Amino acid sequence: MRNSVLLGAVLAAAPLAATAAPETYVVDPIHSFAYFSIDHLGVSNVRGRFNKSSGTFTYDGAAKTGSVEMVIDTASVDTGDHDKGSRPRSRDEHLRSADFFNVAEFPQMAYKSTSVKFNGDAPAEVEGQLTLLGVSKPVTLKIERWVCKDHPMRKKPMCGGDASATLKRTDFGMKYGVPGIGDEVRLSINFEAYKQ
Amino acid sequence: MQSAVVPLLVGLAVAAVLLPIRLSGLAAVAGFLAAVVLIGNFSFATLTATRKLVVVAVAAPLLGVILDTAFKPTRLAGVVLGVLFGAAALWVFWSVLAQQPFAHGLRLGAGVAALVLWTVASTLPLHADPVRAGAAGVGLGVGAGIGAVLGASALIGQYGIAVGAASGGFLLLVMTLGRRVRAGASLVLSVSAGAALLACAAVLLAQLPWTAAAVLGLVPLAVRLPLPARMHAGIETVIAVFYALAPAAACWALAWAASRTAA
Repeated sequence: MRNSVLLGAVLAAAPLAATAAPETYVVDPIHSFAYFSIDHLGVSNVRGRFNKSSGTFTYDGAAKTGSVEMVIDTASVDTGDHDKGSRPRSRDEHLRSADFFNVAEFPQMAYKSTSVKFNGDAPAEVEGQLTLLGVSKPVTLKIERWVCKDHPMRKKPMCGGDASATLKRTDFGMKYGVPGIGDEVRLSINFEAYKQ
Repeated sequence: MQSAVVPLLVGLAVAAVLLPIRLSGLAAVAGFLAAVVLIGNFSFATLTATRKLVVVAVAAPLLGVILDTAFKPTRLAGVVLGVLFGAAALWVFWSVLAQQPFAHGLRLGAGVAALVLWTVASTLPLHADPVRAGAAGVGLGVGAGIGAVLGASALIGQYGIAVGAASGGFLLLVMTLGRRVRAGASLVLSVSAGAALLACAAVLLAQLPWTAAAVLGLVPLAVRLPLPARMHAGIETVIAVFYALAPAAACWALAWAASRTAA
């Protein structure tokens, strides 16, 4: 009798588990940033980040499915060069011009996943298309850290982690300054997102 | 090198080679194209505003060749071509203008069209005077180029300096051979449409202030100032270039002043 009740309960719950919708998470812009690093004159790596971004991702660890959509405000590029001193323009102003991010014409860059590979129940690699300067090219994000838990104070479910990718900026038509300013850009992204 | 020396040498060579067929005016576009190729940022794949600008700047002298061979450019032709290139400017910058709030976009579009219209219409009548036409090319090209650099775009700056340097190459031939070197509509349309579009690009895609770009509209007027009579073409050329660079210097001063106050 007891066994049949348990069996009934399991059978009743099974369809629910199988059809559980992936959870949607909204990226927290205060704790999520895309950093970049690029070679300068073969001497050092200049680093910067984008201060404004938004996005969502879906995640279903049991079904091993997920998706990502991110939008970055290119005008928010920030390499820490805020004091132009005697120079007419700062590096960030130059980066916003048509030479690089061309923010007047392309105010946003976007990333949309096409597939997510899992390692266990955690996403390990995201394949997708990055659209920058009107050009869409495949870019693979490696998820180096993935944690899901409740926020310790707000008690709200959250997921976050660190991801990285490399791309060639000339693939997107950003050719100015190559090779003095490197072609390969290394991206490093930290993200936190709350369950919707 | 790629935006000054090479365009100057290419401009000089093209002006000299095409002298017998009276198409030395193609010097400006040849020097400009040399810079575009060397800087290597052109592609038809994604026609950004800067790339559309290159298309129009290359088409302008071809229209000029037709004008030189089939028609005699009149004052009315200057206005008609000004309107045509003003409309082309709206096409070039549409992707930027369309993203602006309506009233702001309308103002920007009107400014772009007006500057290009004025520059083309006021420069076309110089087609028969190689000294003044070449000097206008130097003033407009170098003016827009250095203005763009001060406005934070080295790419637009290099393109502008290339137009000026190639016009300088054309003027070197004029200084050597005198006024028999023909400028024609091919030269004046190259430098006026090309440089005006570059100045607008420096405003919309970088941070050149409108006032600095508008001052460049004085270049076609400045080169009309009197030149000493019966002087060697070389001396006339130096004086005309000096005239042309005065509004260009005002553009740079305004661009510099704006860079001191901008965030």
